[in-house]
Amino acid sequence: MLDVSKLEKRWLKYKIKKILPYGLLLTAIVTLGILIPSYLFDNPVTVSPASQKKERMQAKPALAIATVNNEEAMILEPSMNFIESMTPASIPTAEATANPPVISNKSRLIPNVIPAISPIVQEPKIQPPVMPKVQPVVKGKSTSITRDDAAFDIHELEERFKNNSNPNLGLYIARYHYDHGNYTESYNYALKTNAISSTMEESWLIFAKSLVKLGKEDQAKKTLQLYISNSNSQSAKNYLDTLNKEPSR
Amino acid sequence: MEPSLFSKPRDLFIDIVNPKDYVQIDSVSHMYQSLKTSVQKPLKMILLYGRPGTGKSMLLHKLHHDLSKHQKVCMIDIPIIDENDFLRVLAHKIYSYASRESLSLTNFLELSTAVNYPVTPIVLLDEAQLYSPSLMEKIRLISDARALKFVITLHKTDNEDIIAKEHFQTRIWESIELENASYEELKIYIQKKLLKANCFDVANMINDKNIKLITKLTRGNYRESNKLMFALFSLYTWYEEHYPSKIKYNALNTKWIEMAAIHTGLIRA
Ligand SMILES: Nc1ncnc2c1ncn2[C@@H]1O[C@H](COP(=O)(O)OP(=O)(O)O)[C@@H](O)[C@H]1O
Ligand SMILES: [Mg+2]
Repeated sequence: MLDVSKLEKRWLKYKIKKILPYGLLLTAIVTLGILIPSYLFDNPVTVSPASQKKERMQAKPALAIATVNNEEAMILEPSMNFIESMTPASIPTAEATANPPVISNKSRLIPNVIPAISPIVQEPKIQPPVMPKVQPVVKGKSTSITRDDAAFDIHELEERFKNNSNPNLGLYIARYHYDHGNYTESYNYALKTNAISSTMEESWLIFAKSLVKLGKEDQAKKTLQLYISNSNSQSAKNYLDTLNKEPSR
Repeated sequence: MEPSLFSKPRDLFIDIVNPKDYVQIDSVSHMYQSLKTSVQKPLKMILLYGRPGTGKSMLLHKLHHDLSKHQKVCMIDIPIIDENDFLRVLAHKIYSYASRESLSLTNFLELSTAVNYPVTPIVLLDEAQLYSPSLMEKIRLISDARALKFVITLHKTDNEDIIAKEHFQTRIWESIELENASYEELKIYIQKKLLKANCFDVANMINDKNIKLITKLTRGNYRESNKLMFALFSLYTWYEEHYPSKIKYNALNTKWIEMAAIHTGLIRA
């Protein structure tokens, strides 16, 4: 039921993405550290009124820095605000000394900078359950799969589902079949589950995904649209977007 | 073939509600106790609400299991949306009154006085957000007439409890909100589940750092945690089969927890 090597690759990608912002941050700091002094001494006039800034920083120090740095990070072009916060030691301006607790502490500054910069590279965030983009395992690829199946009797669950019509169970069976590449079965069970409980997001997604696998992408899109209009489901929206962007996923 | 060490723990986390699998967690047991006490009082309705996956159905099934030894309890875990069906099914289940015709509310109330149980029967309704306002109104009338007591579960959604506001707020005598597990609670949940099934070796593998990560990923939601643990132990069975040397028995593998989270969609990758 699991394509482990594929999952390992996705994990690696995820890790790289996660570390990337920090790498970029480091590069940015180093680059700015080199650029700032020259920039500063070349353009002393462009410095915006210090007092004004000071007020802002005193009122909401952490936030101000975070937003300011965020802007800077986006434009990637050094400005006074950023310079002051990054290099307090090397540039002992009146302002820097006036606000020692806020800007002169490098170690405290870093945590503010990280979340501000990360949006550029779109650090992956934990989200409510999203479409597992896992590919169904190719049958016969590994022996463990068959053995796992034996340990867990799907027919028994199906029997139980017949008796209790529990939507959670229906969904489980649908999911199971989807994971095993039995898309007609997953379609059927998701359909039954939706009929019992129309609010189970995952069941709708499996239903749509099964349709895609069965080559009925248009029908899948229609179903998703219908479901989205009733539920406002973000996962369904995401999946619909993926379908529209890259057909036959 | 040698049985896998991890297939049993894996199957423990299949997402199914069975009162026999109920795990005692302090806060939940506390709620359960107060639920049981409330049910004995002459209350109108009791509402159990919370986000999906916080254990509402589990608590309701547990209540059903425990109460049905002593009194008339009726569990409706799949909502009966049709109003006529609803009364007919109740009449049948509670008063053994079989009828193909639809039953008016007056008929139903007459029936309840005629049968007159010494203790008011309890009806448990799961997934009550699926009931229509007019059916909820009937339910309220029945409970106002003290013909039946109702315990109702309701999903709390982001677009907010419209039904809760309109139909329960003023009328519900007691409401109990279930929440996601804290780190401590999730730890107890996972450990107890494993220990109950004699999976001691696997239970011993799980350290606090593991639980912290799992709580972070699932936000302590029981259903999400079940899914994650299921995927995680599926991975373990796979590695056990293919690369047993990769398995470290002193802790759960952080990378595999993250892989399981990717698989279940908790991490987007
Ligand atoms: N106290 C508990 N003991 C054992 N399992 C629990 C407990 N609470 C929740 N679960 C499990 O967590 C999952 C979600 O719970 P469920 O009752 O279905 O949530 P809800 O009805 O609020 O959506 C189910 O698989 C259920 O078995
Ligand atoms: Mg439920």
